[in-house]
Amino acid sequence: MITEREFLERARLDRRTLTIWIEEEWLIPARHADELSFTDMDLARANLISDLKDNMGVNREGLGVVLHLLDQMHALRRALATALESARDGRPSAKR
Amino acid sequence: MKDPYETLGVAKTASADEIRTAYRKLAKKLHPDLNPGDKQAEERFKEVASANDLLSDPERRRRFDAGEIDASGAEKAPPNARYYRDYAAQGGNPYENHSAYGDFAQGDDLFADLLRRSAEQARRRPGADLHYELAVDFLDVVNGATKTITLPQGGTLNVTIPAGVEDGQILRLRGKGAPSPGEGPPGDALVQIVVTPHRHFTREGADILLDLPITVKEAALGAEVRTPTPTGSVMLKIPKRSNTGDVLRLRGKGVKTRGASGDERVKLKVMMPTDAEPELDAFLADWTPAGAYDPRKEM
Repeated sequence: MITEREFLERARLDRRTLTIWIEEEWLIPARHADELSFTDMDLARANLISDLKDNMGVNREGLGVVLHLLDQMHALRRALATALESARDGRPSAKR
Repeated sequence: MKDPYETLGVAKTASADEIRTAYRKLAKKLHPDLNPGDKQAEERFKEVASANDLLSDPERRRRFDAGEIDASGAEKAPPNARYYRDYAAQGGNPYENHSAYGDFAQGDDLFADLLRRSAEQARRRPGADLHYELAVDFLDVVNGATKTITLPQGGTLNVTIPAGVEDGQILRLRGKGAPSPGEGPPGDALVQIVVTPHRHFTREGADILLDLPITVKEAALGAEVRTPTPTGSVMLKIPKRSNTGDVLRLRGKGVKTRGASGDERVKLKVMMPTDAEPELDAFLADWTPAGAYDPRKEM
């Protein structure tokens, strides 16, 4: 778990930017009793958002679209992986 | 290391704007997070990123052009940086969005079923386990105790320490971890026990060890001596002619765990008086031992 202060430092963000990203639901940190806590995954996602914004010129409107599509793509990739795995094992349905 | 101008596909005379445009164009195509299934994208992206680092910094670009540094001087990306895609591929991704194949998951064929399961699994994913460390006094470990952890994110957690836990052992508190991002159960809290040593006691399995200093007189004539145990002091009978290193056993005064109960092993340590004892000196000077006892016989 990463605290908000550590997160801001490691992601090289200021608090205002972070607040906007959370409002936009680009980042969804866990919340315990008014304190935010972040995972390594949140940190990697923040780096990706910075890359898109600062290095690739994606603006605020575009970012929401990109992330929405990325999140769908990752769900699809995993669903496809599950389906392929089951098909390869020759089982009629996946366990778990 | 390739020529950075070649990597970005720009002329040596390219302006800062041209370099930025070229970099952006390549980054959009090669960023590993936009190519999650392409293993080579990462390598190529790193090349492009380091070429851009070098050429977008006027001073470093000048030094490179002058031959003062080579292209590898531009290496900046940390060697084991992890991209978002590495986490997203692991599953348990709270950002995952399943709407892209919602329509395929209708119906009752094999794939619809698989996709429904995949979405269901994501929804029911439990919260993350949270790790804590708890320092516990030696006696609390022996006798068992209840401790309260104040959590860094606020709130508290009550931890029941069963008698006899070992240093480094991890207690799992079900459901006390992070909440599920979907509708699954919360994760667990994993509390690692770090035992704070005691001034006098040490532990060996279920037994408690104690070094007990006694006087010469107590050792020679025998005595009843107040002796600490984890549950308070008891009177311990020292037999006549006890020696340093003799071990006396206090049954049932060790660590009580479910089913088993250890002992306290008391190791005696005979101490000469530190103050002057003229009478003892005088007695020993005149004393002729009755037997031919030689403590160094075995040496």
